[in-house]
Amino acid sequence: MDDFEAFLNQGGIVEPDDAMPDEYRIAVFRFIELHANSEQMGGLTERDWIPRTPGLRHKMAVIAKTQDEFGHAHLLYMVAADMAIKTRQEMIEDLYAGKSRFHNVFHYRAKTWGHQVAIAFLVDAAALASQQAVFKNCSYGPYRRILKRIIAEEGFHMRLGEDRMMRIAQGTKMQRDMFQQAIDDWWWPALQLFGPDSKPNDMLLRWHIKSERNEILRDRWVQKFVPMLQSYGFTIPDPGLRFDEDTDRWVAGPIDWEPLKKTFANVGPDSARRIGEASAHWEESAWVRHALETTELAKT
Amino acid sequence: MTVAEGLPLDMLRLEAQVHSAVSSVDDPEYPGISIVDLGLLETIHVQPNGSAEIGLIPTFSGCPALAVIADDVVTAVQNVADVSSCTVVWLSSPAWHANRISHEARSCLEKKFTVAVQIGQRSPTCPLCASKTVEQSMFGPSRCRSVHTCTGCGETVEVMRG
Repeated sequence: MDDFEAFLNQGGIVEPDDAMPDEYRIAVFRFIELHANSEQMGGLTERDWIPRTPGLRHKMAVIAKTQDEFGHAHLLYMVAADMAIKTRQEMIEDLYAGKSRFHNVFHYRAKTWGHQVAIAFLVDAAALASQQAVFKNCSYGPYRRILKRIIAEEGFHMRLGEDRMMRIAQGTKMQRDMFQQAIDDWWWPALQLFGPDSKPNDMLLRWHIKSERNEILRDRWVQKFVPMLQSYGFTIPDPGLRFDEDTDRWVAGPIDWEPLKKTFANVGPDSARRIGEASAHWEESAWVRHALETTELAKT
Repeated sequence: MTVAEGLPLDMLRLEAQVHSAVSSVDDPEYPGISIVDLGLLETIHVQPNGSAEIGLIPTFSGCPALAVIADDVVTAVQNVADVSSCTVVWLSSPAWHANRISHEARSCLEKKFTVAVQIGQRSPTCPLCASKTVEQSMFGPSRCRSVHTCTGCGETVEVMRG
C-alpha cells in the first residue's frame, strides 16, 4: 500500500489492468457507482418534466438533458462494471431495490417549474463543482477521461440553467414568487450536496480520487450564488448567513446534516416514491430491452 | 477602376473577417473545438450595407444547442467592425455528416475528449490504443453519439457518427 500511495502522490494514473489494492478498487468503484446512480435518477427527474415543461425552447433542452443524463449513467455504469465488483445488472437492481445510494438532491420532489429552474441553476452548479474537483486530479484513468466528457456537457447544462433563471427572474410577480419558493426549498439540499467538512483522513482525498475538500467547494458555491441571487432581488433562506467584512466573504449559517443522513438511508422526503416509480418503469420496459437484445442476436 | 469594381474586393475581405469570427465560436459541448471544424458552417452572405447572414447546418435537427450556438455566432460576427447586423439561418440541407469534421477537430476529439469519429459503417478505432471498438449501445449522451468498448484496452469510447 505504501508503494501504491507513493505512486499516487507522484501523480500516477491507475488503469483497469494495473495491480491495485482491493481497498482502492472498492473505494473507486463505490464512488463511480454513486455517480452513475445519481445520473440515472437525475435522468428520471428530467424525463418526468418533458410533458410539463413550458415552451418549445425549454422542452427541447429538457429532452436533450434527459438523454444526456442517461448517457452519462450508461458510460459510468460501463466504467464501474469493468472493475469487476458488480455487474451492470446488479448495480441497477440494487438501485431499484433501494440498496444503493444516490445523491441527496434526488430524494426530493420537483413540484413546480420554479423547482426545475432552481435545480438546473443551483443544484447542477453544485454537482458540476464536485465533478470538477474529482476530475482535476483523479487517479483512476477511465473515470478521469469519462469525467472530461461529462463536465463539458454539464457546463452546457449550466448555460441552460442560467438562461432559465434569467427568464423567470425577469418574469411576472407570480413567476418570481414561484422561483423564490423554489430557492427556499432547494437552497439547503443543494448546500448539503457537498457533504459535511472532509475528515483529515478522508481516503478519497488521500488516494487522489477527489482533489478538494468538501467545505472548500461548498464555500466557493456560496460565494458565487449568494450575491448572484441577491442581485436579482431574491432572498437566501439562511437566517445565519452573514457577510464577513474582514475576509470579504459570505459565511453560511450552521448546516443541519440530519436531512442528508436520511437521504443516505433512502428515507428522504421523496425516496420511496422515486425508487418505487423507477423500479416499476424498469419492470415495464423489460420488453424493450428484450426486443433490443433479440435484434442484436439476429444481427450476428 | 471604378468604385463599383472595387466593391467585391471589400466584400471578399469582409467575408473573410466574418468567416474568422464564426470560426472563433466553439461547440458548447466540446470547448476548444470550433463549429467550423465540426462542419456546421455552410454559407456566408454579406451585403454591401454590412448585413451578414450565416447559414449553419445542425448535426441533427432536434439539437438543443442550436439557440446557444446561434447566439454565440451572432455575438462574434457583430464584433467585426464593418458588420451592421447578423442573422443565423439553420439550413435543412445538406444534412450534416461525420465526414464534414476536419482532420484537426477529429484529432482533438480523440486526444482531448477520447471521442472517436465513425464515418459511414466503418468500425471506429480506439483513441487510446487504435484497436477496433465494438458498439455496446446505439444510444449515447446525444443522438449524434453511440457508445463503444475497445477490444484492445477495454476503454469505454464515445463515438460521433454521421
